[in-house]
Amino acid sequence: MSHALLSTRPTARLPSRRIAYPLLDFLAPSICTSGPRSRFHSSAPVDAQPAAQAHVAHAGKPGVRPLNDDQRDFLDSALRVNQAGELAAVLIYAAQTPPVVRSHPHLRPLMKHMYDQEAGHFKTFNALIAKHRVRPTLMYPVWKAAATALGWGTAVMGREAAMACTEAVETEIGTHYNEQVRVLLDWAEKTEKRGESMGEEMTALITELRRIRDEELEHLDHAVEHDAKEAKPYELLTNVIRGGCRTAIWISERV
Amino acid sequence: MAPIRLANPAPVLGAFRASSRQAPRWNCMWRSYHSYDYNQPPPFPAAESAILSRAIEHVPGYGFTVDALKLGARDAGYLDASTNLLPRGVFDLVDYHLVMQRLALKDSVQFPDAEGGKKVGVGSKVRTLTLARLRANEPIIHRWQEALAIMAQPTYIPPSLAELARLADEIWFLAGDTSVDTSWYTKRATLSAIYSATEVFMTQDKSSNFKETEEFLDARLEDNMKLGKAVGGFAAWADFTAHSAVNVLRSKGMRI
Repeated sequence: MSHALLSTRPTARLPSRRIAYPLLDFLAPSICTSGPRSRFHSSAPVDAQPAAQAHVAHAGKPGVRPLNDDQRDFLDSALRVNQAGELAAVLIYAAQTPPVVRSHPHLRPLMKHMYDQEAGHFKTFNALIAKHRVRPTLMYPVWKAAATALGWGTAVMGREAAMACTEAVETEIGTHYNEQVRVLLDWAEKTEKRGESMGEEMTALITELRRIRDEELEHLDHAVEHDAKEAKPYELLTNVIRGGCRTAIWISERV
Repeated sequence: MAPIRLANPAPVLGAFRASSRQAPRWNCMWRSYHSYDYNQPPPFPAAESAILSRAIEHVPGYGFTVDALKLGARDAGYLDASTNLLPRGVFDLVDYHLVMQRLALKDSVQFPDAEGGKKVGVGSKVRTLTLARLRANEPIIHRWQEALAIMAQPTYIPPSLAELARLADEIWFLAGDTSVDTSWYTKRATLSAIYSATEVFMTQDKSSNFKETEEFLDARLEDNMKLGKAVGGFAAWADFTAHSAVNVLRSKGMRI
């Protein structure tokens, strides 16, 4: 209620001023409204309705709603985390494969299948963050070393430990992708209610994220089928790995 | 007077709240997620843009000074006092030049898509773009030291560095570089260093058509390329050695 009042009053008063003193009207709104934000190529926040309407007029394709700053920040950190996560996944499987396959040659096709899928995901996110000019994580070399150590370490502990590692990692990653998909679907729903569309880019991104999430959860099933639960200190191992994953996600979202 | 005052506080407060919420974004080094589904909004609000674009025309004569700003405001049909619209004063004029020239790069430099069968490498694209950006300083190069002095003021160092980083990002992006690992950072850092060094060199350059600046830039880029090759070669060697060591141990029957 108060917001409605606030937004109508100045606009109701301004026109009369504009006629009397043509030089004052730009002074007033510029102090109140023009943030330095706009100069960094960002679109207006949603709550500033008039400004948002103005940007809709800018739109390259009709009916596509420009993302607001919070949405862009969300996508920025989401894509960065996803790329870091897939980098880690590729390296974990790459490091696990030789020791695991050596003692259990029948797992070779499974390991190769999972590795190939992760490599595909990694390629997808590399392309996405290059296209959308998202900064990769600063911790890149750290994650590289940590993921290789984790993959190799669990593989040396045995097949069950390696599978428990896969289970723990894929559980965290699956949850993470699920959260992202939920947020994006929520945006899509809200935008469609307004009669606008999210644009092809976002629709494609949602489809892609869903596909990747399903594949990650499929790896989780494979791991459980291959006796992940029989790893020796199962609770300790999975909890440490899951905690590590969550920390890595938290860090990659920020730096 | 009183009723106006009563009506005012809330919107004014609201405006302050809004601006304080926006504050962190000022120092944000990288703009986030770039979309292709809609055009980007103009980088400056209309009134600021009108004053600054006129003011920049007076820079060759008056330098990056308040005088240039005032003349610009007059040309745009505003009062001299309207330069108060720009909270950072002269730095806003410098910033306008930097932002507009950065955004102009994508239109001023075009790379034909490998027409003659010969593909232009990323390295030579970076050179072309950097040179194009430096050439955009030509009309005001005799005043550029003033601008550098303004940018070196402690308050303005962070936004100036952020703008430099954005320029480096823009150049690598336009050159079609798609690396998304640690080299993303090293590439932008080295290009920023090279660009700013060349820019300073250019203010001293008296040669015709800035030939010496071009040579200076080429020398820096070549140094950088040599260094990059040496580092990359060492990394590849270390990687290979480590892998072969592990494989030798595995072949000896060690369970690793």
